[in-house]
Amino acid sequence: MHDDTPDRHAELSAAALAGELTAAEEAELAALDAARPDAEAERAELAALVARLEGVEAWDDAEPSDPLAARIAAIDDAADVAAPAPAIAPAPPTAPVAAPVSLDARRRRRRRLLPLVAAAAACLAIGVGIGAAAFGERGGEDVAGAPGALGAIEEVDFVGAPASIAIDGAVVAHTWGTETVLTIEGLAAGETYTVVVVGEDGTEHASGAMLGSEVPVDCRLNAAVLREDVASVEIRTSSGDELAHADVVDV
Amino acid sequence: MREHRDDAAAGVHAAASDARFDVRAAFAEHGPALLGFAVNALHDRALAEDCVQETFLRAWRARASFDPARGSLRTWLFAIERRIVLDVHRAHARRPRLVPQGEHPEPVADVRDPLERLGMVEALARLSAPQREAIVAVHLHGLSYAEHAAATGVPAATLRTRVFAGLRALRTTLDEMDATDA
Repeated sequence: MHDDTPDRHAELSAAALAGELTAAEEAELAALDAARPDAEAERAELAALVARLEGVEAWDDAEPSDPLAARIAAIDDAADVAAPAPAIAPAPPTAPVAAPVSLDARRRRRRRLLPLVAAAAACLAIGVGIGAAAFGERGGEDVAGAPGALGAIEEVDFVGAPASIAIDGAVVAHTWGTETVLTIEGLAAGETYTVVVVGEDGTEHASGAMLGSEVPVDCRLNAAVLREDVASVEIRTSSGDELAHADVVDV
Repeated sequence: MREHRDDAAAGVHAAASDARFDVRAAFAEHGPALLGFAVNALHDRALAEDCVQETFLRAWRARASFDPARGSLRTWLFAIERRIVLDVHRAHARRPRLVPQGEHPEPVADVRDPLERLGMVEALARLSAPQREAIVAVHLHGLSYAEHAAATGVPAATLRTRVFAGLRALRTTLDEMDATDA
């Protein structure tokens, strides 16, 4: 919001900052300054600010495109889908997790588990809370965007888990890394599971851990690796064995 | 030209029970300014649009934490976007730049602090469009007030007053950003 109310003192001060004062205006400004002791100090402050503007070479008056507006609207659509949270009945208890069926070639890659810095997980059992926004986003009205687009929900298929465990997964590219969104039914209650994001160079990026529950687990985990550098996501048991993995497409 | 209402509750439904964040309304109100910040900070239109989308996505996810009593929606959105733009800027700065063989860039004598420039770009983006347009014309492009008045049809006296008020607003915004970052 701006105010164009005529203000002779401001007008002359602006001209002074641009070096445009005539002799008559200079005298007039001096007279006005005399009535306001802090005027000169403020002008000096603003002159320093003008000097700092030199770091900005030009200005592009960009207007949002229609596709961007549509992408933003898709967030809103997802919100509408997400609320209210659906009531989901608890899943039956399951047998202890079996060892992974096989370890594919990814297992032979060089592995270096990064420290748990920047790794975080936010999980909850669906039956006891909201936090189901992810379901809305992952429904039919996701945030639009191809795999790798910032903020776009990208469904991935987890394979290798025992038949008693159902895993619904997605990843989201962010500027700060890659988010994994999981909904898992059938995990052994009380058991600890870890999620690791494997980079294309084989580096493992810890993404957090979760406890199995008798109700479905809704979980979001973050890893400090850019989506473009991710090859797969693995869920492991507390012994380090693979429970399931999802390969992601190259972006 | 669009004027923004700096109403703390703009873009947020009155339903306080879930502090619902109205993405469409917020984008209509503040999207152009947020895009202006990202475009002029990054000089990459596609990347800038990604940053704006990421800003609204994060805002939507964190909507329950928005408290109009603590600051305007516009200030909150810019704070979110600032972190995103900074991350992207840093990621780009870390990437080596390929130059054609035989071409050796001259060392840069005047290395300005990129954060200083990003801060100034954000503060300009947060101004009203008429104030920013006048400041850019006079203090970035070097037009005289008479030249800018002839180009826009706005009297030079009005432009002068507008620029002075704009510079004051710019200073206030930079002070607020400094306080936020402190």
